[in-house]
Amino acid sequence: MDEEILQDFLVEASDLVDQLNEQLVDLENSPTDSDLLNAVFRGFHTIKGGAGFLAITPLIEVCHRAENVFDKIRNGDVEYDAAVADVILRAFDVISDSIEQLNDGARELPENDPLLLNELDALTKGQVVEGAVKESLSTEKTNEPILELPEGVDPDGEISDEEFEALLNQRDGKMASRSEDTPALTLPEGVDPDGDMSDEEFEALLEQRDTLKAASPSADSTPSTLTLPEGVDPDGDMSDEEFEALLQQRDALKSSPPPAVKETEPDVEKTPPPVVSKPAKKTAPANKSTKPAAKNTPESTVRVDTKRLDEIMNLVGELVLVRNRLLTLRGKESSREDISNAVANLDHVTTDLQASVLKTRMQPVKKVFGRFPRVVRDLARKLGKDINLELEGEETDLDKNLVEALADPLVHLVRNSVDHGVEMPDVRAAAGKPKVGTVLLAAKQEGDHILLSITDDGKGMDPDVLRQKAVEKGMMDEVAASQLDDQSAFELILSAGFSTADQISDISGRGVGMDVVKSMITKLNGSIEIHSVLGEGTQINIKVPLTLAILPTLMVGFDEDSYAIPLTSVQEIFDFNPEQTNKIDGQVMVRLREESIPLYFLNEWLAPNNPKESYKGDKVVIVSVGNQRAGLVVSQVNGQEEVVIKPLGVMLKNATGYAGATITGNGSIALILDLPGVVSRFQ
Amino acid sequence: MNLTTEAPSVEQMQQGGIMDEESAYLGPGIRCVLFTLENEVYGIPVRKIREVLRVGAIRQVAGATYGVLGVINVRGVIVTVVDARILYNMPSREIDDLSRIIIVELDGERTVGILVDFVMEVKDIPEDKIESLSGSKDKASRYIQGIAHFQDDVIILIDVDNMFLGVD
Repeated sequence: MDEEILQDFLVEASDLVDQLNEQLVDLENSPTDSDLLNAVFRGFHTIKGGAGFLAITPLIEVCHRAENVFDKIRNGDVEYDAAVADVILRAFDVISDSIEQLNDGARELPENDPLLLNELDALTKGQVVEGAVKESLSTEKTNEPILELPEGVDPDGEISDEEFEALLNQRDGKMASRSEDTPALTLPEGVDPDGDMSDEEFEALLEQRDTLKAASPSADSTPSTLTLPEGVDPDGDMSDEEFEALLQQRDALKSSPPPAVKETEPDVEKTPPPVVSKPAKKTAPANKSTKPAAKNTPESTVRVDTKRLDEIMNLVGELVLVRNRLLTLRGKESSREDISNAVANLDHVTTDLQASVLKTRMQPVKKVFGRFPRVVRDLARKLGKDINLELEGEETDLDKNLVEALADPLVHLVRNSVDHGVEMPDVRAAAGKPKVGTVLLAAKQEGDHILLSITDDGKGMDPDVLRQKAVEKGMMDEVAASQLDDQSAFELILSAGFSTADQISDISGRGVGMDVVKSMITKLNGSIEIHSVLGEGTQINIKVPLTLAILPTLMVGFDEDSYAIPLTSVQEIFDFNPEQTNKIDGQVMVRLREESIPLYFLNEWLAPNNPKESYKGDKVVIVSVGNQRAGLVVSQVNGQEEVVIKPLGVMLKNATGYAGATITGNGSIALILDLPGVVSRFQ
Repeated sequence: MNLTTEAPSVEQMQQGGIMDEESAYLGPGIRCVLFTLENEVYGIPVRKIREVLRVGAIRQVAGATYGVLGVINVRGVIVTVVDARILYNMPSREIDDLSRIIIVELDGERTVGILVDFVMEVKDIPEDKIESLSGSKDKASRYIQGIAHFQDDVIILIDVDNMFLGVD
């Protein structure tokens, strides 16, 4: 397998998979949208094409069948309903898993689950196979050619290969005679119609067919389907042997690549003879368990618009010019003005360059949002709820790392909304709400922040229940609980070990609690806010900085050493005054407008070797850490600076209290404080 | 490599004929940067070394693991500096003009700076002069790849990969 071509294929296929994921769910809401149908069809077809080139057989098999189903659907022969969608989505999952496995370095894919392939094949016939026997063969479309058993054959007896062959031939004959009204494809001269066909020839025929179809949309291909021999009770049980025989026949027909297409049979490849819809129980999914544990490897490549690259190149060119200018200025006695002009120019160019480079890291939030229609759909179907997911602001750009880091917390919150927020349809109806619940997922940029919100019109939260729960859990006494305002009561759900659900469902209880969500958001220098009205719904707002690479900070210090505090957390700064402080339980607190805030003397931790005699002249920086506030006592406040975050090196990655390091204007290193870590060091 | 002292090439050594008996045989060798700690000679294979730096300002990091001196800025990259003396259970010593930081490349992107007393030279050590240390697996010797008796020196070869194995 050519590794380079494979990588190209994987990049393309991953994009297609992302698109399909969304399109498939959209399709369920508007199953007759022909643009969408065509897009989905093309998606599967393109993946198949690439897989075919690389000879990834399992992938081809699934894509091919899915493509067939959609061909039927767009021709109006099959309706895309929830049951069909279930099978298609399973097929899609197989494809998506396969791509992921290939991305993870696997070069051999496991065999496909034959059950799934059968079901897909059945779909092309308009049948839905759902585990047990559900559809009977009598639902066959009447306009399909009926095949007759040769005389003397016991219809209840086993079907022999010869008999089956005869039936097939019969079918071909009927099909041929019926296909007068369908545009016939003509083989190029000199091609043996019965001989093997090359890929090129086949492709040519396909194109021919497509053009014919486009020219006469009414002349849709005739479904070429197999029916059971007459006399066989369609509702009766089928023996394993019979089933096996049919399967073999089908496989024999299908597995002769390139397929033997007869001129008069326009659609053999598109609609292979479907298998009978009675899978024996023993064909239970065999390789489901081989699915590897989902690895969360961050993407290592980014697609960048060439325009952006040109822009950067241009700016780099400017930068070189400025450098040359400065170099010439260095050599001679130059006026202050010249130098300051050149420096001003340098300032401009670097600012622009920085912005441009940052843009290359930006990706639309759609990348995260894209997975939600599917998540909500599957979950709603599982829970028996009716939920409409609305997405807003998908085009909002977000730093690549943030896009990846936000995925998990968002999935958790959306699942929560679907599971705990939106009520069952009958409950909703009784409450006078529309039966269909709505979950709105929105993103927008607000200054240098991105605001993400998850809103549902479900049952909301009762602050009193939460207060009571907090007391029960021993998190606070009744007095403290009763003093919590509603907002703070809602935020209780973000604390560790706080679960209001008496039963943890396998949906929301996936090991990620709200406290984990909160700590993930906090790690991104973000904040989380909860609004809820009992009976009307809940809104969760997440605010995260636009980028993780550049951080506006407040520089503070002790003598020579400087530290950077993320500016988003800084609330106010004032002079340290020992008279305003008191000690409660060994902890120094400062009173600030009726609120007691714990004070942490950073030098105790950061400069333990030279204890200070007096904190006179020191400053207190009030910061918000999660839902709490803390006062950090520092020697100097050096002002604001935008810093580029650099990771701390080997052996320091896990040092608590630091989010990284940065290089300051004078070339020295400043450590960036991670406030939750700092606070935990003092507690 | 920022080192000025280059080891004489194999050819030079053979043609010169002034080498002592021990260097007369020059089989496959490992080119190492030799440095001292407490008057003992240590070596790190050149292929693991990115550069050798004079000691500038080291930014201390409170709460770091014992042995970590702090971080330095190597052209925009923050690199951790460890004190080789502490790692080898030796008393630490004031940094002076001869002190150097050897920037070592670990797997992939990771780099680390090792503070040493004095960097001597670059030398090819014939492989068959290297005795691997087997048996004792205490903490300090885990960092040692082998010992070479070569040209009147006892050279302790450091296994930098092992030294920083599992740290992150």
